[in-house]
Amino acid sequence: MVQLRLPKNSRVQRGEHHPAPAGATKVKTFKVYRYDPEGTENPRWDTYDVDVDACGPMVLDVLIHIKNTVDPTLSFRRSCREGVCGSCAMNIGGRNTLACTHGHDEVPGAQCQIAPLPHMPVIKDLVPDMTMFYAQYASIEPWLHTTTPEPQTEWLQTPEDRSKIDGLYECILCACCSTSCPSYWWNGEKYLGPAALLQSYRWLVDSRDEATGDRLDDLEDPFKLYRCHTIMNCAQVCPKGLNPAKAIGEIKKMLVDRVV
Amino acid sequence: MASYQFIDHKFDVVVVGAGGSGLRAALGCAAAGLKTACITKVFPTRSHTVAAQGGISASLGNMGEDDWRWHMYDTVKGSDWLGDQDAIEYLCRNAPAAVYELEHWGVPFSRTPEGKIYQRAFGGMTRNYGEAPIQRTCAAADRTGHAMLHTMYGQALSKDTEFFIEYFALDLIMDEGVCRGVTAWKLDDGTLHRFQAQQVILATGGYGRAYFSATSAHTCTGDGGGMALRAGLPLQDMEFVQFHPTGIYGAGCLITEGARGEGGYLTNSEGERFMERYAPSVKDLAPRDMVSRAMTIEIREGRGVGPKKDHIFLHLDHLDPKILAERLPGISESAKIFAGVDVTREPIPVLPTVHYNMGGIPTNFYSEVVTRLGDDPDKVVPGLMAVGEAACVSVHGANRLGSNSLIDLVVFGRSAALRCADTIKAGATQVELKPAMTDGHLARFDKFRNASGSTPTAALRLEMQKAMQDDAAVFRTTDSLASGVKRLEAIHAKRPDLKVTDRGLIWNTDLVETLEFDNLVGQAITTVAGAYNRTESRGAHAHEDFPDRNDGEWMKHTLTWFDDATGKVAIDYRPVHSFTMTNDIAYIPPKARVY
Amino acid sequence: MASYRTPLGRARGLGAAKHGVGEWISERVTAVALVPLVLWGVFAVLRLAGADYAGAVAWLTASPLNPTLMVLLVVVSFLHMHGGMRVVIEDYIEKTLSRTGLLLLNLFVCALAGTLAVFSILKVALGGAL
Repeated sequence: MVQLRLPKNSRVQRGEHHPAPAGATKVKTFKVYRYDPEGTENPRWDTYDVDVDACGPMVLDVLIHIKNTVDPTLSFRRSCREGVCGSCAMNIGGRNTLACTHGHDEVPGAQCQIAPLPHMPVIKDLVPDMTMFYAQYASIEPWLHTTTPEPQTEWLQTPEDRSKIDGLYECILCACCSTSCPSYWWNGEKYLGPAALLQSYRWLVDSRDEATGDRLDDLEDPFKLYRCHTIMNCAQVCPKGLNPAKAIGEIKKMLVDRVV
Repeated sequence: MASYQFIDHKFDVVVVGAGGSGLRAALGCAAAGLKTACITKVFPTRSHTVAAQGGISASLGNMGEDDWRWHMYDTVKGSDWLGDQDAIEYLCRNAPAAVYELEHWGVPFSRTPEGKIYQRAFGGMTRNYGEAPIQRTCAAADRTGHAMLHTMYGQALSKDTEFFIEYFALDLIMDEGVCRGVTAWKLDDGTLHRFQAQQVILATGGYGRAYFSATSAHTCTGDGGGMALRAGLPLQDMEFVQFHPTGIYGAGCLITEGARGEGGYLTNSEGERFMERYAPSVKDLAPRDMVSRAMTIEIREGRGVGPKKDHIFLHLDHLDPKILAERLPGISESAKIFAGVDVTREPIPVLPTVHYNMGGIPTNFYSEVVTRLGDDPDKVVPGLMAVGEAACVSVHGANRLGSNSLIDLVVFGRSAALRCADTIKAGATQVELKPAMTDGHLARFDKFRNASGSTPTAALRLEMQKAMQDDAAVFRTTDSLASGVKRLEAIHAKRPDLKVTDRGLIWNTDLVETLEFDNLVGQAITTVAGAYNRTESRGAHAHEDFPDRNDGEWMKHTLTWFDDATGKVAIDYRPVHSFTMTNDIAYIPPKARVY
Repeated sequence: MASYRTPLGRARGLGAAKHGVGEWISERVTAVALVPLVLWGVFAVLRLAGADYAGAVAWLTASPLNPTLMVLLVVVSFLHMHGGMRVVIEDYIEKTLSRTGLLLLNLFVCALAGTLAVFSILKVALGGAL
């Protein structure tokens, strides 16, 4: 059976509480997953009472505020802080999203729970190990395949054909979708997951690509592709508003098209 | 000091950084059969190139006649004649081929009805040597950098480039003036690595985070510049920092210049399209330095908008919502999230925000790092190259034109790879590294790791960012720059008092941020020192006590060396190249820069 | 035990099986077929609810249509069930041995129960009842 309980050394324990500074005007509690890979202790939930009037509107602003003023040991990835680099994907209030574009006031209640992306090995605190996710992306060969000699100038493409790539190429590889997908939780080694499949479809519908058949061959597999059961978590959580489930449906349609 | 053990790697080429220029250089070297490593502190598609929006300039002529000479003229004029014209010629001549190459790799450019790459208007890009605005900037909606970066990462994968992801580069391995490699710290397991190579290519990006408010990512900490300074190499033209006219007020997130390229315009509190006064012929499509100055003047003279009259409005609400959805979807989303504005109805509140560093590690147009040695202003540093925003070729001179940075990345990333292919023999024997070459790296790493003073990194960093923001802004004065020099000296003096709380080696971001701060502070100091020293106004360096350009005295690049121990800056100069690369175009002599 | 296999090697795994679309189509086709068949089945059960065994046999043998639809209903149901159960097992059962065991069990149970049902219907329909 799939393992429903966490292994003994991964069970999360109560951690430290950091009270709000004196004079705080608007306090919200942030419950943050902490794990120190160099210690011997289990992961823990630390709670931070933060004066949200003293920091910016987004959850990332809160995390940076905590790191800068309360606890410099807190680790998380971040870069662009405007929702295009995909670094700060995490589970906020039970939902995978980007910390930089998710307002802390969007999380209802007095407490906001922040955990790493689910079902990924945790390296430290909010930093998951994304190695397999990236390898799966590489395995779909995310580059243009052509055999016809390249033209002197650009490959021509009609605006209509170009518009087919809209809603696909915008993916930022944040992994919010894949790590919210139960199928990916249970069969993450064999199922490519929504992100890799969305990108796969991006190349399948690119009118310039000449390897559509080979790409479909490499996808036709009970696990790589057909583990998608249209649960739709992927489309629900995508911080860029993309719909990987629809793209996967389109791939399945292409596979049907070539046999009937 | 704790004992650290290096894990050794040997390559023909090591590229530090995996943004646009790093990936282009790395995949070019790999394709040329050189054993290539690409070391990066973030996963490649998270590099800051991903945030580039508007497009990449090249005279394809898809929207009407164009010529690389016109592009060159615009770039020279945009640079306020501080750009080296041989390098600018190299850039503009090779731009179309570089864009076609990107398209062949699969970049999803927007298309014209004829199926060609769509090009939009951008600031300072004109037809026929300054006549009227031209559409020269190739775009993939307003996500061009994202599209390019993802495509190039895919290409790099196809070329079997070896990536070392989430490795933080520490220092250059220097051996009597020759670069032999680079040391790095692997974040996910805490090990230290020594990468030996015949050629190291720095593609580490800019240092926008030296300022408090920047469109730059948190990771834009100029690590390559910091490493170069510690290796005893100079940085060039650091005083030229570009302010992008349209950063979202408050958040600082970028709104592309392409917004104005598609017809957007700026207004002040009187609803006036004030750019018509400052640049009658190109109006809102003037170069960034001019627009930023105009906005700052409007605000200063009390015509800013908002309750504090401290920003400006960018209007897109007159544009067809269909065009907005098709060509500017990304900034529509950003405006919604970060300013709460629906661009189809309301103007976006914007403010000039630090965006780009024209300065950097000096190179020639082969991307080889150069320094001044005695009378030789172009002495190549063997084994070291620099590309992208980290470098100063200098094609952008005193002010970069919008969309010239993406083309800079690929053209000079490519030139670095071509140069490597020409000068390096794959698998050639390399000298043995000696511990003495890296002892200093370890000492520095250990010093910061165990820093136990009383000033947290975040506090000192904030102090630096505020000083830069106050004293090296759009307009500078002798007083502000003198204050900047003093404040930064004080910050440098406080460095031994830094406090790092996390002592771990695995994903210790407290230590990463401290090492990054250390990289930033040298560049912040050279920036204000260079600015204080340059007693004229040119491009992005607007000195109110010296409001005019002074070609007689200042037609030269500033070189700044930094003594890490004392915090002292040494200044010297390199001449601006007064020649072009070929005879196909003559040197464009300086004249008044009006639009 | 940590593996030293490269991530790409792991991601590529054993490569694509190059089948799956057949199964996917079959699940959909059986689902579509079951819509009228189940409606008919419910209708038949309701109709026979009041009847005794002889009445049911009489209904079944009254025309060739009734036993044919009954056989189809049973066959398509078991095919659909087999496919559905297989997906559930593949989803949730991780270990190779238990997974293979359960997949076989699923196949055998469906085949046995299905064949038994078909044979029983035929037996009644062809007059072998009582």
